[in-house]
Amino acid sequence: MIKIKDLEKFYSTDEVRTIALNKLSFNVNDGEFVAIMGPSGCGKSTLLNILGLLDDPDGGSFEFNGIEVAGFNERKRADLRKHTIGFVFQSFNLIDELTVYENVELPLIYTGVKADERKKRVKEVLEKMQIMHRCKHFPQQLSGGQQQRVAVARAVVNNPKLILADEPTGNLDSNNGNEVMDLLTELNEVGTTIVMVTHSEHDAKYSHRIIRMLDGQKVTENVLV
Amino acid sequence: MIKNYFKIAWRNLKKNKVYSFINIFGLALGMSVTIMITLWVVDELNFNKFFENHDQIAQIYQSQTANGQVGTGQAIPRPLEFLLRKEYGDNFKKISMSSWNTSMYLQYGDNTISKNGNFMQEEALDIFTPKIVKGEANGLKEKNSIMLSESTAKALFGNENAIGKVVKINNKSDMMVTSVFEDLPTNTDFDLLEFIMPWKHYITRQSWIEDAVDSWGNNSFQMFVQIADNTTMEGVTSKVLDSKIKANPSEAEFNPQIFLLPMKDWHLRSNFENGVQSGGRIENVWLFTIIGAFILFLACINFMNLSTARSEKRAIEVGIRKAIGSNRKQLINQFLSESLLVVLFAYVLSIIIVLLSLNGFNYLASKQIVFPWSNIQFWAFSLLFILFTALISGSYPALYLSSFKPIKVLKGTFRTGRYAALPRKVLVVTQFAVSIVLIIGTLIVMSQIEYSKNRPIGYDKGGLIQIPVMSEEFIGKQDFMRNQFLASGGVVEMSTSSSPTTAIWSNRGGYTWDGKPEGFQENFSWTEVSAEYVKSLGMKIIEGRDFSREFATDSNAVLVNKTAIEYMGITNPIGKFIRDENLENPDPPMQIIGVVEDVITQSPYEPVKEGLYVFDKEGNANYYNLRLNPNKSVSDNLNSIERTFKTHFPNLPFRYDFIDEQYAQKFASEERVASLARVFTILAILISCLGLFGLASFVAEQRTKEIGVRKVLGASVCNLWILLSKDFVKLVIIAFLIATPIAFYMMSQWIQKFAYRTDISWWIFLAAGLGALVITLITVSFQSIKAAIANPTKSLRTE
Repeated sequence: MIKIKDLEKFYSTDEVRTIALNKLSFNVNDGEFVAIMGPSGCGKSTLLNILGLLDDPDGGSFEFNGIEVAGFNERKRADLRKHTIGFVFQSFNLIDELTVYENVELPLIYTGVKADERKKRVKEVLEKMQIMHRCKHFPQQLSGGQQQRVAVARAVVNNPKLILADEPTGNLDSNNGNEVMDLLTELNEVGTTIVMVTHSEHDAKYSHRIIRMLDGQKVTENVLV
Repeated sequence: MIKNYFKIAWRNLKKNKVYSFINIFGLALGMSVTIMITLWVVDELNFNKFFENHDQIAQIYQSQTANGQVGTGQAIPRPLEFLLRKEYGDNFKKISMSSWNTSMYLQYGDNTISKNGNFMQEEALDIFTPKIVKGEANGLKEKNSIMLSESTAKALFGNENAIGKVVKINNKSDMMVTSVFEDLPTNTDFDLLEFIMPWKHYITRQSWIEDAVDSWGNNSFQMFVQIADNTTMEGVTSKVLDSKIKANPSEAEFNPQIFLLPMKDWHLRSNFENGVQSGGRIENVWLFTIIGAFILFLACINFMNLSTARSEKRAIEVGIRKAIGSNRKQLINQFLSESLLVVLFAYVLSIIIVLLSLNGFNYLASKQIVFPWSNIQFWAFSLLFILFTALISGSYPALYLSSFKPIKVLKGTFRTGRYAALPRKVLVVTQFAVSIVLIIGTLIVMSQIEYSKNRPIGYDKGGLIQIPVMSEEFIGKQDFMRNQFLASGGVVEMSTSSSPTTAIWSNRGGYTWDGKPEGFQENFSWTEVSAEYVKSLGMKIIEGRDFSREFATDSNAVLVNKTAIEYMGITNPIGKFIRDENLENPDPPMQIIGVVEDVITQSPYEPVKEGLYVFDKEGNANYYNLRLNPNKSVSDNLNSIERTFKTHFPNLPFRYDFIDEQYAQKFASEERVASLARVFTILAILISCLGLFGLASFVAEQRTKEIGVRKVLGASVCNLWILLSKDFVKLVIIAFLIATPIAFYMMSQWIQKFAYRTDISWWIFLAAGLGALVITLITVSFQSIKAAIANPTKSLRTE
């Protein structure tokens, strides 16, 4: 699904040029669950943003589903993104002005799904996430765990091939965190590829493979299964 | 998708009530000003469009040159009619001569009313196509016929049928009503056409009119034409331009030029400067169009500033939307939908504001604009206007907000940069610069009016009234009535004159005097007065003496004004003679007995015209001028005058004008501009302050933590107030520096059009600048003091 080779990314300020990714290469296969670990500033989030087509690499190649996407313009990236990738963030990132239902519905609107179909799918996914009873509430009215469940629901409602999770349990207590990890595992079991950035060894154990990074480079790679 | 856009827009509006109020109310104010100005401009541009043939109608104008100065006007001589009909007839479909619009007494039984109308030829009915409600289509066939407007017929006959009734005009001629026409609308130049009588009657009314039939020098008439189908105004003008000189070479010394002024120019472009068309009311149309556009822009700026100021709050939303698949175009559309929603609300509110204030606006602008409920064009314009406003106010925020990079905002590292506030600052400076220009402009217009009002006018206009005496009944009763009025106790002096105190009705040339320069082409204003004219008006004799009933020779005497003495170039004028150039004229020469102080009869902004006051030997009085008794109340005086009047003229309505009110009319046009400008300036300031208030509250909110830290460290409320206010004060000072030269340049241009003008003084700029500063401080202080006195522990906990 993902093939990256010699991926590079730099950040420049007036005085300093920081290397965020330094000729990074690895692959992720269809249906895999990969955890990326490493200390703060090692480049994990930068990597995730590039994988999520939110950012552009400065060098190297990035093949997504067999298509070279490094160098895609914003429009093409947005198009690919909305059909194939779902995001789960540490801070949930729900839109405060929209209800639970509307937040989950939003990706379907952007991909142009018809209203009847949207209703069906949102209902389905909310029921699966056991949050249907809260569908008319606004995000601030929910607990952190509930919010993250909504965020996961939103990430999967489009049936994406890939879910990118950026410390999905970082803002949650351990019970809620485990629930979210179980959700991700279930999704993975039905065929969704997952790439997750995490600090937590506990969470990383849910994955098939752990890639450890330091200073923008891959240090080790452990296959768990 | 659209539904989703509007949903989130609506929730955002509800959530941020203060911002929403400022946005909607500010935009509504701006939009209502624009709508009102548009209605006014459309009314101005549609002036005279009521007439079916308006594209083909023109008035014949004439320019003549005297002493190198070209004068232009509608007055033309009678022989021109025959010349145009005979030699240039192909160019015209219709031609009609016309008298001036004059006020006359119309009497039916015991009922006498005073109405205005013209004497015109039958073809005028084809040119102006008045809508006949009753009677004959051509009501001017018979010499003794009269056509009445509906309201005139109603005033005269009530509900009786007017057709066939006989009306007595000025107690002299009996005229039969032949038709009744629909009243002409107020936005035409003929709104005072309350009756029409036949031209053929007019030319037999008085001997001077009859005599004018072959007099090329007697420019006392008007002519309206409808040009032929295959011609243009310019084309016809080029043909008739020299018609008068060719037909009558003796007029060549005045180089008379005959031309057509198209109907579309009558109202808007009727000013002529030295023979060249130089605008007119069209300048006000432009002025207010520009002001309207600016005020709308000011309101749009509020929207832009408040939307972008709150960008940090919206940034996350933008990031999420982008991450889950929105492209930039969709985000732009979303933000434009939000502005569209705001503008939509503002529009509805603005329509309400317009409806509520239309009466007041009509009063200020002296218009009779009706809200165009049933006008499709208006609603189509409204739709475009809403979209346009939404686009102007929404496009910058939409482009700005949709440009955020999702990774930055989602990581929480998003901070608007050091220069993010720069466009907002530029826009605030623009707002205040426009407001300050408006303040300065309004102050200068007002000071020019005030200056001209304080100009010495040469007589005492308070406690003076005039009674029009055009009816035949008054003839020969001047001295008798003077004694009656004096005896009534309401009047301390009375005189008569051939023209009203506040206008010149007659100009004359063709005179000579000792020392007259070779080739000098004189033109004097000409007023025939009775012996007590100077005394009753309170004019000042600066040399020589007044008319006196003691000297029989005074019937050939003349008083001249100060300007005339300089104009004629004579020293020691007293006792000198002014003679008719035509040696065959049997009238004795006029002897100058006195020089009077200049009296402003025409524009208070122009130099006084050189004038002659001649003794009225023939009883040509058109007005009684009555000096009220200063020891009694005005109402007592008017009561005794009316009683006396009614005793001797029981059938005539008692009509009178206060001279001070008549004089004030001279400022009406400029005062209208000034009062409208004043209203618009106040609105511009209000809108700018609303925006400033919103920005100040945003800044206070943004800096809550900083304020808390500073307070903990020992900053006083005053320190914090200064801290939060000084940024805004800086902006207003920059705005002032930009506005001052612009306003100075524009107003120096404007004031040039007045010959008698005030200096643009520095205090106006200072006052405008200080005013803007004070208003800014008041607006900003509310928020900054509120933030400064807030409990710091609270603000520090907000993280």
